[in-house]
Amino acid sequence: MPDSSTSAAIPNTPAQRMILRTTRDARNDRLFRWVLLSCAMLVLLALLGAVASTLWGGRLAFHTFGWKFLVSDQWNAVTGQFGALVPIWGTLMTSLIAMLLAVPISFGIALFLTEVAPSWMRAPVSAAVELLAGIPSIIYGMWGLFVFAPFLADHVYPWVNDKLGHLPLIGALFRGPPLGIGMLTAGIVLAIMVIPFISSVMRDVFLTVPTRLKESAYALGSTTWEVVWNIVLPYTRSAVVGGIFLGLGRALGETMAVTFVLGNAHQLSASLLMPSSSIASVIANEFTEAVSPMHQSSLIALGFLLFVVTFIVLAIAKLLLLGLARRGGTE
Amino acid sequence: MTETAPTLSAQTLSTVVSQPKLIARNLDFFYQEFLALQDISMEIPEHKVTAIIGPSGCGKSTLLRVFNRIYAIYPKLRACGEVLLDGQNILEPGYSLNRLRSKVGMVFQKPVPFPMSIYENIAYGIRHHERISRSEMDMRVELALRQSALWNEAKDKLKQNALGLSGGQQQRLCIARAIALKPEVILLDEPTSALDPIATGRIEQLVEELKRDFTIVIVTHNMQQAARVSDFTAFMYLGELIEFGGTQTIFTKPTKTQTEDYITGRFG
Repeated sequence: MPDSSTSAAIPNTPAQRMILRTTRDARNDRLFRWVLLSCAMLVLLALLGAVASTLWGGRLAFHTFGWKFLVSDQWNAVTGQFGALVPIWGTLMTSLIAMLLAVPISFGIALFLTEVAPSWMRAPVSAAVELLAGIPSIIYGMWGLFVFAPFLADHVYPWVNDKLGHLPLIGALFRGPPLGIGMLTAGIVLAIMVIPFISSVMRDVFLTVPTRLKESAYALGSTTWEVVWNIVLPYTRSAVVGGIFLGLGRALGETMAVTFVLGNAHQLSASLLMPSSSIASVIANEFTEAVSPMHQSSLIALGFLLFVVTFIVLAIAKLLLLGLARRGGTE
Repeated sequence: MTETAPTLSAQTLSTVVSQPKLIARNLDFFYQEFLALQDISMEIPEHKVTAIIGPSGCGKSTLLRVFNRIYAIYPKLRACGEVLLDGQNILEPGYSLNRLRSKVGMVFQKPVPFPMSIYENIAYGIRHHERISRSEMDMRVELALRQSALWNEAKDKLKQNALGLSGGQQQRLCIARAIALKPEVILLDEPTSALDPIATGRIEQLVEELKRDFTIVIVTHNMQQAARVSDFTAFMYLGELIEFGGTQTIFTKPTKTQTEDYITGRFG
C-alpha cells in the first residue's frame, strides 16, 4: 500500500518513524478485518436473501393453505390443491435410508484405507472412491433408472417382499409391487452418491490420530477393532460428525438422481418400495409446467420448506451427537 | 531406603542373584530390507532395571519394540531369531499377542493418555483381559494409581478427562495404565524425554520402586539417567549390541573403546 502520510511530513527521527509505522499497521489490520468480515457477511446475506425470496415467492401458497400446506398430502395442479407432506416425507425417508447405508459403509472404507489396507492398495482405492464423487448426478440418475432399478425390481425386491413383507412392524415398509423405482431405490442411489464425501472426510481425520495413541492401545492388548472403536473414533468424533453432516446435507438437497429413480408420485405410502417424491424432485419436475400462480407459488414454498427441513434435520442431528459426545466425555 | 542393598549385590553378584526374565538370541530385525538390529543376544534379569543406551538411530527403541512385538502392527517389519520370555519364544507366530501384551507393558516417549477419564484410562486395559466387578475394578484402578504415585493427585478427579493432567502426571498415568494389567515386564521408551526435571525425578524414583514387582527395561538417551536408575546397562551402536553388563562396570570400566567414547561424550 502506498504510504501517503510520509509525503506530508517526512519523519526524521527513528521514534517518529516508529509511531508512523505503528499507526499504519493498525490501519491495515483494521482494513484486513473489514475485508474478512465482509466475505463472511456475503454468505450470510446470500442465505438470508434466498430464504426471504422463497418465503416471499411462496406467500400465496402459505396464505391460502396456511398450516394445511404442511400436513396435506394433496398435490393436484388441476384442482389447485397443494400440500407438502408427501415431498417432505419423501425427502426425509430417502435421506434417512441413504445415511443408514452410507455411514457404516463409509466408516468401513475409511478404516480399511487407514488401518488395514496394505500400502500399495491405499492410493488406488482412495482414488476410486474420490472418482465416485466426480460423477455428475444426472449419470447416477440415468444409471439408477435404466440399470439399477430394473435389477432391483427383478432380483431383489421380490425377495425383500417375500422375506421381510410378512414381518410384524417393519413388514409394512417392505410390502408392495416391485416396481424398481421408489424410496428404497432412491435411498440406495443417494447412499452411493454421498459415500465418497463421508468416507474421504473420515479417512482424512483418521489419519490425524497420533501413532503413539494407537500404539499405546495396541500395547495394552487391544485388537484393531478395539483401537478403532475406543481410541480413533472418540479422538476424531467431531470431525467425523462434520463429514456425516456434509453427506446428509447433500442427500437432503440432491435433485437429479432422485428425480429419476423416486417415481414422482404424489401419494403417501408406508412402503419403501413405492414411488414417492422429494421436495427437490417435485420442483425440478414441475417448474416448467407450473402455469397457474398458485402452482408456482406452491413450488417456491416447497423450496422454502427445503431450507427449513434441512435446518431442522441438521440441528437435531447436531444436538443428538452433542449429547453423545458429552456422555462420552464424562464416562 | 532399601535400594542400596540390591544395587550393591547387582554389581557384585549380578548373574548369580537374578534369573533372566527376557532372553534375546541372535535377534535380527528388518525394516523391509534394512537390517536395523544385527545378531543381538542378551539376558535381561528379573526384578532389575536394565537400561539400553546409545546414540540416535542405534536401534535401542527398535529392540524395545521387539519385546512386546508392537512392531507387528506395521506391515513389512520382521524379526528373526529368538526372544524368550520365561523360556517361551514370543516371536513364534502361535504366541498370542494379547497374552504377550498383558505380560509385557509399554510406556512411550510422550505421555499419551486416551481421550477419556482418568479412571477409564486405567480400566480400559484391564477390561481387555479380565472380567471383573465394578468394586473390584475400583480397587484395581486405585492400586495402579497408588503404585504409580498418582493416587493423591488424582483421587478427587477420577471422572475428569485425563488430558487435563500435567505432562508428568499424564506420564505417570500411562505407567499406571501399564501396571494395572499386572504385567511382568515394563518397557519404558525414553519415558522422561518430554518432561521437566522435577517430573523426571519423580518418574525415576517411581522406576526404583517398581522394580520390586516388575522387570524393567528402559531406553534412554540420557546417560546420567541410565547411571542413576539402572542395575544393568546395554550399549548399542549401529544396530549391534556393543557391550552389556552391570551399570557401574559399564560406566567406570567399559571394555570396549566405543562404549568408552560414547560415555565420555566423544561422540553421539
